[in-house]
Amino acid sequence: MKLLTSLLLIASAAFAQDLVARGADVYVKSCATGYCHGLKGSGGGAPRLASRGFDEAFITRTVRSGITGTAMPAFGTTLARLDLAAVIAYVGSLNGIAPNPALAAMLRGPPARTLPPEAARGRALFYEASRGFARCATCHLVDGMGIAVTDAITKVPANAAELRGVSATHVATATAGGEAFPALVLSKGVTQVKVYDLTIAPPVLRVFPAASVTIQEGSAWKHASATQSYTDAELDAIVAFLKAVVQ
Amino acid sequence: MAAMKFTVLGLLFAAALTAQPTATTADWPSYGGTHAAWRYSALDQINASNVAKLAPVWAFQTGDYENGLQSTPIVVDGVLYLVSARSQVFALDAASGRRIWEYHYALPRTPGTNTQNRGLAVGAGKVFLGTYDDYMIALDAKTGAEVWKVAVDDQRQCGCAITGAPLFVKDKVVVGSTGGDGAFRGYLTAFNAETGRLAWRFYTVAGPGEKGHETWKGDSWKYGGGATWMTGSFDPALNLIYWGTGNAASDLYSGDRYASDALNGVKPGGVNLYTASVIALDADSGKLRWHYQEIPKDVWDFDAAYECVLVDRMVDGKMRKLLVHVNKSGYTFVLDRVTGEYIGAFPIVENHNWTSGVTKDGKFLDIVEPVEDKPTLICPGPAGGKSWNQMAFSPRTGFIYAPVLEQCAQLQARRQEPSEGRVYLGGTWAETSPPGGVVHSHLDAYDPVTGKRAWTYPYKYVLFASLLATAGDLVFTGDPEGFFFALDARSGKKLWSFQTGAGHRGSSVTYSVNGRQYIATPTGWGSIAGRALLNTWPEAEAFRSGSTLMVFALPEAK
Repeated sequence: MKLLTSLLLIASAAFAQDLVARGADVYVKSCATGYCHGLKGSGGGAPRLASRGFDEAFITRTVRSGITGTAMPAFGTTLARLDLAAVIAYVGSLNGIAPNPALAAMLRGPPARTLPPEAARGRALFYEASRGFARCATCHLVDGMGIAVTDAITKVPANAAELRGVSATHVATATAGGEAFPALVLSKGVTQVKVYDLTIAPPVLRVFPAASVTIQEGSAWKHASATQSYTDAELDAIVAFLKAVVQ
Repeated sequence: MAAMKFTVLGLLFAAALTAQPTATTADWPSYGGTHAAWRYSALDQINASNVAKLAPVWAFQTGDYENGLQSTPIVVDGVLYLVSARSQVFALDAASGRRIWEYHYALPRTPGTNTQNRGLAVGAGKVFLGTYDDYMIALDAKTGAEVWKVAVDDQRQCGCAITGAPLFVKDKVVVGSTGGDGAFRGYLTAFNAETGRLAWRFYTVAGPGEKGHETWKGDSWKYGGGATWMTGSFDPALNLIYWGTGNAASDLYSGDRYASDALNGVKPGGVNLYTASVIALDADSGKLRWHYQEIPKDVWDFDAAYECVLVDRMVDGKMRKLLVHVNKSGYTFVLDRVTGEYIGAFPIVENHNWTSGVTKDGKFLDIVEPVEDKPTLICPGPAGGKSWNQMAFSPRTGFIYAPVLEQCAQLQARRQEPSEGRVYLGGTWAETSPPGGVVHSHLDAYDPVTGKRAWTYPYKYVLFASLLATAGDLVFTGDPEGFFFALDARSGKKLWSFQTGAGHRGSSVTYSVNGRQYIATPTGWGSIAGRALLNTWPEAEAFRSGSTLMVFALPEAK
């Protein structure tokens, strides 16, 4: 029994060494440019990785899923499983962690969230960069992305027609410097007034001295003007996306 | 005769009205000094005969010490405006350093980011700030209060950031962004200076229906790169904005974005338009007037994003309106800025092997591209024969002054699937020494048309601070060891040096208040290049970070 354990340990130690060596190779090819983590984790455009006191769970999570809002990619979908285990082992070795022989098994984990096809198509359309500012995300923060010009979406329209016709009664008309424009009023204080100017996308947060602007209820602004770049079928897909992600 | 006189006067008057301010005087009004981007001042109180007496008069610490200080201060009417790496803005009395106001932008703390801000624009009574998380903000120049704020993009999606200084042009403010080493489609955006409303946007990667779209394979245009991460220039007489664009993405692997020479026509149309190009846009409409692609198909991350220096020089006996532009390939390009016509190109690096040379019409010969199966030695490497730090031009000497880096890299291409906003390098590289030598740098003075080098100032490490030239026949810059120094603009001889206590990564400026000339320099090492240097020189660990503006002047007469 004791002998067997020793043999297993020796075998796993060899496995670990191989894994780290393979990881060093993967690291050089995927992580080491000066724009990213540098040779041997010395740091570059992205943070230093050597001697940071990282634990294996953190390294595994970060390498697999990336870091939202940064350039750090999710390697869980681009590297082969063994390479993924290897590069995690290598970054671990830079932090004094001996590789866990069960690393490959650990990598299975829970699958990423998958949206139904129609909702996934809607998601792509909602944020679609090639539309420039004529995309939903210019004014709406949903599912962790987009600009929160409006309040969070809590009620999802039933279909494309309803989506185009979303009520805009809260949009007012601001008049400043002799010019009237559609405005979403954020605050109306004694000294200053803050509004989103909706004249043209993207909305502009503007601050006026209170005496220099007047606000009147109502506006000719329609949500339909903001949905013009989409077809009805596209808006239906967006509705499916919103239904899938809005609580 | 009288009528003729009148006409001549009229013409002179008209010429004066549209004449490009090229040298700065009391103020330092914009990123490149003036919109001609000379980084040259007509002030000469401090000059080659007295610079040895230059002494510090005040310093300002921003308190924002993480990533050094890469900024160019702006000075207007005795007020100095400074932005720090995390988009904090300060208005200071330019003579005393007294703080007038400060604006603390609440930049979200995101792990793994390398926040930078290279400068502000000032105009129409406002201070314009681009933030690392992609907002454009206008502040009241008198109070620092927000006037307007608009989201240019969403960093969580695009992976892009505004790090370059905006350019204030007439009634608009124009701004670019980073992102071209990720899966991102570059653009330049102009906002109305008064209202913040969108004026125009120009995509540097031609979309469906646009001229140049045919130079992209399949859907590759959606993530084609072409980031506009530095600051452009403006010629008021031609009403043209000039801007350099970054590399095509993915950086090293072109198989998914480029079909074939025959299909795309390497010349004259170009490949993957309008990446790695100089573009000239109508200042009012943002419409493309001309483009010149310097690095067709860029598979080296050579970019063409740097400053466009606007000079008028004699070429073959004729006075020409020129645009002088250096990119990371180590070549200086000389273009006609009226038409975009190629006039010439010459290398300023000593180590260049990616091409054997350039033809009279601008075609690079015997190009060496990275391949997938093994590393290929390419000089210069992706760090560039010149970094983003700006060169200077002195009309007194007629020289361009540029910091040059001698470094190579082993490049290896690898096909990569794009994922929006994430790194999309399409390969990897390791920096290495030039064959038979060591990594080093030099500051050169050369003729902008012929490339003839007048003098060179060698340096052991890198010179990653911008240059400042003055009518006192001085050239100022700083080094990573902390020395801020002045060279004789005619000979390159070092005339003065001062240890500022932190490495130099920013851009010094000069201005005057009440007849006294000041030289201001940001100090504080940091940034991608700063950290990457550790791979070359372990002692670079000792280069000091920080974030302090140091200001110098001659002692006042007692």
